[in-house]
Amino acid sequence: MTYHTLLFLFTAIFAVWAVMARKLLTSAIMLALVSVCVALIFFDFGAPWAGVFELSVCAGLITVLFVGAVSLVRTVEEKSPENRTRFQALPPALAIFAIAAWFYLPPFLDELAGWARPGTGGGTIGLALWDMRRPDLLGQVLMLAAGVFVIKSVFPRRTENK
Amino acid sequence: MDKGLLAYLLIPLFAAVIIPFAARCRRKLADIIAAVTLLAGLANLAWLVLRPSVINGGFADIPGDGLSLLLVATIYLIGLCVTFFSAWFMDEELPNRPAYYSLILVSVAAMTGVVTTSDFFTLYVFIEVLAVTTFALITTDESAGGIEGALKYFFLTFPASALIIAGLAVLLLTLGSLSFENLRIFMASDIPSGPVTFGAALMLLGFLIKSGVVPFHAWTPDAYQGAYAPVSAHLAGIVTKISGVYAIVKLATLLRFFDGRAQGLSGMLMFLGMLSIAVGALAALRQKDFKRMLAFSSISQVGYIVLAAGLGTPLAIMGAVFHLVNHATFKTVLFLNSASLERSAGTTDMDKLGGLEHSMPWTSWTSVVALLSTAGVPPLSGFWSKLLIILALWESGFKTYAVLALLFSIVTLAYFMVMQRKVFFGLKTRAAENSPEVSAPLLAPVVLLSAVIVALGLLFPYFYTYVRVVTERIIL
Repeated sequence: MTYHTLLFLFTAIFAVWAVMARKLLTSAIMLALVSVCVALIFFDFGAPWAGVFELSVCAGLITVLFVGAVSLVRTVEEKSPENRTRFQALPPALAIFAIAAWFYLPPFLDELAGWARPGTGGGTIGLALWDMRRPDLLGQVLMLAAGVFVIKSVFPRRTENK
Repeated sequence: MDKGLLAYLLIPLFAAVIIPFAARCRRKLADIIAAVTLLAGLANLAWLVLRPSVINGGFADIPGDGLSLLLVATIYLIGLCVTFFSAWFMDEELPNRPAYYSLILVSVAAMTGVVTTSDFFTLYVFIEVLAVTTFALITTDESAGGIEGALKYFFLTFPASALIIAGLAVLLLTLGSLSFENLRIFMASDIPSGPVTFGAALMLLGFLIKSGVVPFHAWTPDAYQGAYAPVSAHLAGIVTKISGVYAIVKLATLLRFFDGRAQGLSGMLMFLGMLSIAVGALAALRQKDFKRMLAFSSISQVGYIVLAAGLGTPLAIMGAVFHLVNHATFKTVLFLNSASLERSAGTTDMDKLGGLEHSMPWTSWTSVVALLSTAGVPPLSGFWSKLLIILALWESGFKTYAVLALLFSIVTLAYFMVMQRKVFFGLKTRAAENSPEVSAPLLAPVVLLSAVIVALGLLFPYFYTYVRVVTERIIL
């Protein structure tokens, strides 16, 4: 229970840090840490294949893409620093949400659990990936291709505009 | 997933990966590879469905549920027209030209994934791929309007994704599986459907936002108007129809609206459909920009599909599927014509245009065909789909909705007539003085699609047989 609570707490802290950070690079790293924590939660909840995807795609590949993008826009960012006062509203808003969730979410989830049915998942990572969720794997490949082409579409224009 | 159609997903993906390497030797190869890939796919699909033996057999031999096949063909047809049009429309020196074609092919692969899958999570993954590619495609020429449209598309459809994923979580918890078949079996049983319907309602809400149905339409006009001209046609013609409207029709059949299950959801969907028809048509009447008017018209036409999906009877589903295909064809023609206008006259502001019929006769008359079909004038394809929807409403006792749907069809004709008079008929304005007809390659896709609109209308008995087979397979 303590382990879970700590993981949830770290996830929330890193997520808020990612939004509040002054430097884009810090935001990208914090986002990667959020993904690591979420992957650990997945592992702990007995969903190893979801954890593997979260770790490889979100914490790994997406972070590499973000860091690459940040290195390209850094000069612009340094020339015109962003007005960040509006982000100050985030911690109080989150606190209100957390208090509301503390009261309402557990009874809601308890009620929903009454309707729960056993899932058809389970088995090893290989079985889950190759036999049960193969189309999702194809979707992930398509998503990676889309990400690469988006970068190839946006960056040449940026370079030219400079 | 329909394995028989897997090649239609894999081949565009493979071609998309090849394009950047091939374009290094010769940039024109990017256009050629994209167009040839889609043309070959379309030819193969035509061979599967349009053989005399298949037609004589009442389409009983077509693989899968038939709906996937029909929609894959529509996706390939619109993709081919947009790709061919872009090859002649796009600036030769645009640095992201090869990536543009790769993105179009990836979006075609993603849409094929959406219509061939039989699992909600896979559907979600492919819809997200579509969202990512669409975001980049809208900003192709990096105009201020394009960036604004792309950001609105991204930020307003993001909550939709969150709602869909929340719905998926509830569905997985209460159903134990995310496959379409399990939901169909559950809804056919006598078990109280409470939380399952709640999960489906969350997903429906997400798909309604992605479809741009009123009151979730805030992103649609800006995205369509600001997008790079050929991309508007791709977006309005097929992308939003597959990423939102198709999913709504699919859910409507799985939730068995026709036998009274999930009656509240069915009523809500019908009301939003009617609201969309009315608001879209009335807003289109007041527009001064051609593309913006088309965007509101699109909202209105999507309303007809949502209204029919909400009703959910076999006749209504037939009308919804047919109107979805029709909408893809006539809206693509109109948006591609708006791109031609932008190229030739330099503006899409209807107050600055006029008398273009003499200098741009092909653009003018293909617009007439598309607008008459949109308004439901016989014997064009739009007439039959609207007739099916209105008949289904009347038969089921929703006579007020039927009359309103008919009335707003007349409003559709009115705003399109106003557009035609302002843009193509009447006296020539200064902007129209030096506006020659666009080149033949730019006209070829709109002429082809106009021919499809006429053919679907005139050969309606054949198409009716096909759509009936589809409806029997997806509902029963």
